[in-house]
Amino acid sequence: MAKPKIAFFDFAGCEGDQLQIANLEERLLDILGHVEVVSFREVATGHSDDYDVAFVEGSITRPEDEIRLKEIRKNAKVLVALGACAAIGGINCLKNFLAENVYREEVYGGQARWFSTYAARPLKSVVKVDAEIPGCPIDPTEFARITKELLLGRSPWIPDFPVCVECKQAGNVCRYEMGRMCLGIITRAGCKAACVSQGAHCWGCRGLVPGANLDAARIVMDRPGTSRKAIQDLLRFFLGDTGAAL
Amino acid sequence: MNTKPFSPYVPRPVTLVEKTKLSDFVTRFTFEQDNGRPLAHKPGQFVNVSMYGIGEAPFSISSPPRRTQNTFEIAVRKIGAVTSALHELKPGAKVGIRGPYGSSFPVMKFVGKDILIVAGGLGYIPLRSLLFYQLRHRDEFNRMVLMVGTREPKERIFVDEIADLAKSGDVEVLETVDMPDETWKGNVGVITTLLPKAELDPANTYVAMVGPPIMYRFVIAECRKKGIASDQIFVSLERKMKCGLGKCGHCQINELNACIDGPVFCYTDIEAYQEAI
Amino acid sequence: MTTYTVYKEQLPGLFEKWSESYALYVPAKLREGFYDLVPWKRDLEIAWDFDVAYNSPKRFLFPPREALITFNRKTCEAEPVFEAPPQILFGVHPYDVKAINQLDQLLETGSPDQNYVRRRAATVVMGYEPLTVSPTAFWASVGAASAAHGYDLYWTKIGPAAFTVEVGSARGEELLSMCGPLVPSTAGDKEGARRAKARVLFKARHNGLRYNWEETPRLLSKSWDSPLWRRYSQMCLACGSCNLVCPTCYCFDIREEADDQLEEGVRYREWDGCMLESFAKVAGNHNFRPKAQDRYRHRYFRKGKYIYDKIGELGCVGCGRCVRACTAGIANPLKVFNELWEETAHEH
Repeated sequence: MAKPKIAFFDFAGCEGDQLQIANLEERLLDILGHVEVVSFREVATGHSDDYDVAFVEGSITRPEDEIRLKEIRKNAKVLVALGACAAIGGINCLKNFLAENVYREEVYGGQARWFSTYAARPLKSVVKVDAEIPGCPIDPTEFARITKELLLGRSPWIPDFPVCVECKQAGNVCRYEMGRMCLGIITRAGCKAACVSQGAHCWGCRGLVPGANLDAARIVMDRPGTSRKAIQDLLRFFLGDTGAAL
Repeated sequence: MNTKPFSPYVPRPVTLVEKTKLSDFVTRFTFEQDNGRPLAHKPGQFVNVSMYGIGEAPFSISSPPRRTQNTFEIAVRKIGAVTSALHELKPGAKVGIRGPYGSSFPVMKFVGKDILIVAGGLGYIPLRSLLFYQLRHRDEFNRMVLMVGTREPKERIFVDEIADLAKSGDVEVLETVDMPDETWKGNVGVITTLLPKAELDPANTYVAMVGPPIMYRFVIAECRKKGIASDQIFVSLERKMKCGLGKCGHCQINELNACIDGPVFCYTDIEAYQEAI
Repeated sequence: MTTYTVYKEQLPGLFEKWSESYALYVPAKLREGFYDLVPWKRDLEIAWDFDVAYNSPKRFLFPPREALITFNRKTCEAEPVFEAPPQILFGVHPYDVKAINQLDQLLETGSPDQNYVRRRAATVVMGYEPLTVSPTAFWASVGAASAAHGYDLYWTKIGPAAFTVEVGSARGEELLSMCGPLVPSTAGDKEGARRAKARVLFKARHNGLRYNWEETPRLLSKSWDSPLWRRYSQMCLACGSCNLVCPTCYCFDIREEADDQLEEGVRYREWDGCMLESFAKVAGNHNFRPKAQDRYRHRYFRKGKYIYDKIGELGCVGCGRCVRACTAGIANPLKVFNELWEETAHEH
């Protein structure tokens, strides 16, 4: 059987997710041994429009991005959103809370009228996305697992429970017990609670867990010593495209 | 000599020998145990099938117990990761199985009695094991009535087999579909509408039913209306059986584990459990 | 059973000796201010007055993620994976000993879970009488203040530098005598241990069920339709924290991953919880407990009735971990059971 062809693409983002994949090093060679990579800017030159699986990084921030993304969708049998920007819009969506003239002026200054830009959005707002590998950046081991699942013909599995599960598995002390804020209670797991395990708190980079109880989460977060502004900022940081951000 | 230490989580290999398409989404798989032994299951039990690298999922055994053959059958609807992968298999391919697990229909109780088999949708698959076991010992049972309900004609499975059963005279067959198309000439309506059509001797009739979750309450009510006692009604309940050993907790029905206390229950034993029906 | 008196100065020698052949875990204060069982090392300060170990001891016997089998995709042959490192849990409070006993009973009956059985056999449990009581604990009122068995040794601190050590198994006695002959406890020392227990029981009275815990199953059978389930579960985040921190919860999911060559792979289990939204969801997306209140109620029934009906004990040992872990403030068996008791009080 011919090896499936895969390609990587990027829109508005830092290409950090493709870098994470490159960081798999020897493992990457094994995994990519099952496929033919036709386009992967982060590790090789060259490009082709003949591919089965498209891994797409970055969010959509310009009308012309839509045309290109739809083209990718047309060519690919499977389209995978890679990383927070692609999967949930990510931090690019922060600009959506500003007036258009404000962010245009801020970013492009006097040349603003030469650039097209609109509200940032995830891939799924434009095309059908078959699988997501969320996170900022992605967890390379999750990329490896999901790629293998695709190779085996399995629809990829990502956790459908909140980060709290993995945090408790890790034995971490809950941030709320330390009087801190944390978005683990509404964020999709799969990161092994990386940030909390490192002493930080969850920023929500993997997006909302399906069925997230946002009303309850707002009550939980609204504690003495926590400003509403801080809660709003945290909810907007990665979750700007979701119902969590106000 | 194989001396690997025992673990109940270790499946054994079986080989796919035959694959038959039953409908657009349902396929029958015949497997052969590599150890050469019969599966030794009882009607109503299930096996956990491993598609290595994809996952493991429980399936009702649809063939009757076979004492001399090492083959068994399952029939599977393409609906998730494991079932989709199963559909890709070609004869000769190997998979892993654990089991048979769970309780079974109490065939000995049915001896000399009338039996009503109520199959909603894919419920015919596990009931087929019971049905053909009884047919093999046809003289030991009295009347046999089979009721089959399907949502749409195109979703009917084992169509020829059921037609043959009706012709054989061994089983009285009543069939209905919820949503007929222009090809359908038979009964129309949910499966409960078949019950009033059959004359049953309530004191002597045992009922075995399998179907979608919504079906049980209504069919049981119809049976009770006909005067069939709770302890003559047997149901097989689907839950999320994962470990098959009564450990992982996913298939709990109140305090029961569907994988070891079930899947076949006498209605009397579960009547009081709010999560059962 | 024999009881010996052991002095604090003997401990470093014993710990040193034990750690040669066992992974030794002892109670210590965490950076964040909480206590937990942590790997022993020389000069580690032992937190003799710890109120509760932040993480329950189940992680040592039933790790959050554990390989069950390895498989070969081509041959479809599978091999069991067993890991059972010899370990000593020093400083397990009686309610946690009871929780371990419950896991033993539930995982070893029927078709014994060999992975658990092996880990359990390789684990030495050294019980320890608490000196303080966690503010959210209520173990004294659910019959979990003492464990009759399940430990190899049971330590009670009877003075600033002395312990009585009750022997629970030959293995325990052997470990205790590794650094020389033992001194049987005097009647006075035993009286000291009795008093230590009485002192902590007095402290534990601050929190408790308003009724005899053995009434809980009967109370629950009257409470299926209580409005309480909905009232509390409205706040449920379905995060599973209450399940995961519970010393008696052992539900798990089974998943697997092929190796990078796609030739072999590992099937493993991971902690799961009945409070998670998809816990009872089958293929085709039918969810047998679709609402938060269904899941919330199930957990309390499991703790207060289902386990009791199986083994005659509550599934809750009153450690209070879930009370603390629940950010929404709704996981609280004590409050739930007491409120149900109030609700049905007119019926008593």
